[in-house]
Amino acid sequence: MNTPAKAGQRQGSALFHGLVVAALALFILLPFAQSLIMSFTSTMPRDGIPEGSYSFINFISIAVTPDLRESVLNSTFYVLLNVTLCLVAGLPAAYAYSRYSFTGDRHVFFLLLVFRLTPPVVLSLPIFILFSKFGLVNSPVGIALVHCLFNVPIAIWVLESFISAVPRELDETAFLDGYSLPGFFFRHLIPVIAPGIGVTAFFCFIFSWVEVVFARILTVTAGKPITMAMNALLGIRPDFGLVAAMNIIALLPGLGMIYFVRNHLARGFVIRT
Amino acid sequence: MKPHDNRAWLLLLPAMTIMLLVGVVPLVSVFNYSFHDIFTLQDLHWLGLDWYREIVRSERFHGSLARSTLFSALVLSIQLPLGIAIALMLTHAPRWRTPVLMLLALPLVVPWNMIPIMWLNLISKQGLLGQAFLAMDAPIDARFNTLHTWIVLLAMDTWHWLGLVVILSFAGLSGIPQDYYRAAAVDGASRIAVFRHIQLPKISSVLSIAILLRFVDSFMIYTEAFRINAGGPHRATTFLTLDLGEEINSFTYGAAAARSMVYFLLVITVAWSFRTIMDRRKGALEGINT
Repeated sequence: MNTPAKAGQRQGSALFHGLVVAALALFILLPFAQSLIMSFTSTMPRDGIPEGSYSFINFISIAVTPDLRESVLNSTFYVLLNVTLCLVAGLPAAYAYSRYSFTGDRHVFFLLLVFRLTPPVVLSLPIFILFSKFGLVNSPVGIALVHCLFNVPIAIWVLESFISAVPRELDETAFLDGYSLPGFFFRHLIPVIAPGIGVTAFFCFIFSWVEVVFARILTVTAGKPITMAMNALLGIRPDFGLVAAMNIIALLPGLGMIYFVRNHLARGFVIRT
Repeated sequence: MKPHDNRAWLLLLPAMTIMLLVGVVPLVSVFNYSFHDIFTLQDLHWLGLDWYREIVRSERFHGSLARSTLFSALVLSIQLPLGIAIALMLTHAPRWRTPVLMLLALPLVVPWNMIPIMWLNLISKQGLLGQAFLAMDAPIDARFNTLHTWIVLLAMDTWHWLGLVVILSFAGLSGIPQDYYRAAAVDGASRIAVFRHIQLPKISSVLSIAILLRFVDSFMIYTEAFRINAGGPHRATTFLTLDLGEEINSFTYGAAAARSMVYFLLVITVAWSFRTIMDRRKGALEGINT
């Protein structure tokens, strides 16, 4: 059935796909290219380095500035804590939604959606007052907690889809074999839905690492994450080269996450609603 | 059919505890503040619905609401068709799947306060895009030209969020069993018919999540829009959240709380009516199938 007409058509569509991908790549990569160029450009008058020349000075500045170094650690810490919290709280809840119906389940699900949709600006003031009572201001722990507002609903939603793809017989045989619920979770369920845990961690990461409204209001004097360290650099006459270099460093964990889940994204995951 | 068991609530306890602390308690506090005039938190004066009346009647609010609605409408009408089209293309081009999805996920991991900085650098007179437009004798002016500011905001938002729409649409499409396509091929259905009667209905639930997320995040856009032009020129890009930001910065917390509640109610009303419509359509479809 390989007629010349069909082969020609296939070639035509391959060419079309190539063109679309090239246009997309240009659109997406252009701002990144700009940042990359700027991060290697000295954008401030300095002794020995002419303004506008290529240099590593921005990356060296980051390495020797304690505030900037510390912000990388703060960000890493709060994101890891947030992803852990979301998985620990989300997994049992997702299991409950996948396997049982219970009084008020639909209402609670809508409530979770409501909190995912609540704009952070709306809650920023009372969150600040509440968290300062518990001593959670100026600490990455506070940021990790407050980001659960939008990430726990996401975790429950993504994990529920993955758990529902697992046949109920897995649960039943494990329980017949005498496993308790936690034992079943760790020995059977988690290994089977490992890709789902990866995808969940990816979504929690992309919404937490980049968030700025809560991160700003909760870190007044200390515990600043990368985003706020960069905000502090945007003064009257900002050193855009340094900001761009910091931005490049802030991108690295994200690139790692994307690489980590690439096959799961491409294989597609069934989402049920 | 799932068994009914109220002990499932126990499994929800950890999640509910966290949501109570970071969601319910703060929301109730905002609700309470919104009825008060606040000098300090120890010095509250009951005002009733005064703040609400003032906001709902102000022309400023009407203007911002109109601009935010227009922005969301434009964002959705650009990003949804484009995102679905790219996801459809990926189903026909297996070898591009991984590279394109990785590419489109890149902007999702950029800190939100850096996105406007990246774009401002790109369109500045020294930037790659700024120079290109200057060479074509059509310089970009995102400071004093309303149309240019809007175009930059829309391009930036599309750059930022297109990946999410594509990832979700593609996830929905790849969940469709091959049998459906085979049956369609036997019937000799056209590509458009396959899209209209198989693909679109099958991804509608995942799309509804994408629509809701994109609606809320564009309707409540703050960090990105503020950095580009601080709501200008002449308030032409002053969206709802920029008004709220001004109020919080001037320490009128009671008014800010009332405004927050108004926005919250707007978002929830849209989400709720959207869900009701989707449920009704789903119910109607199931009615046909059985």
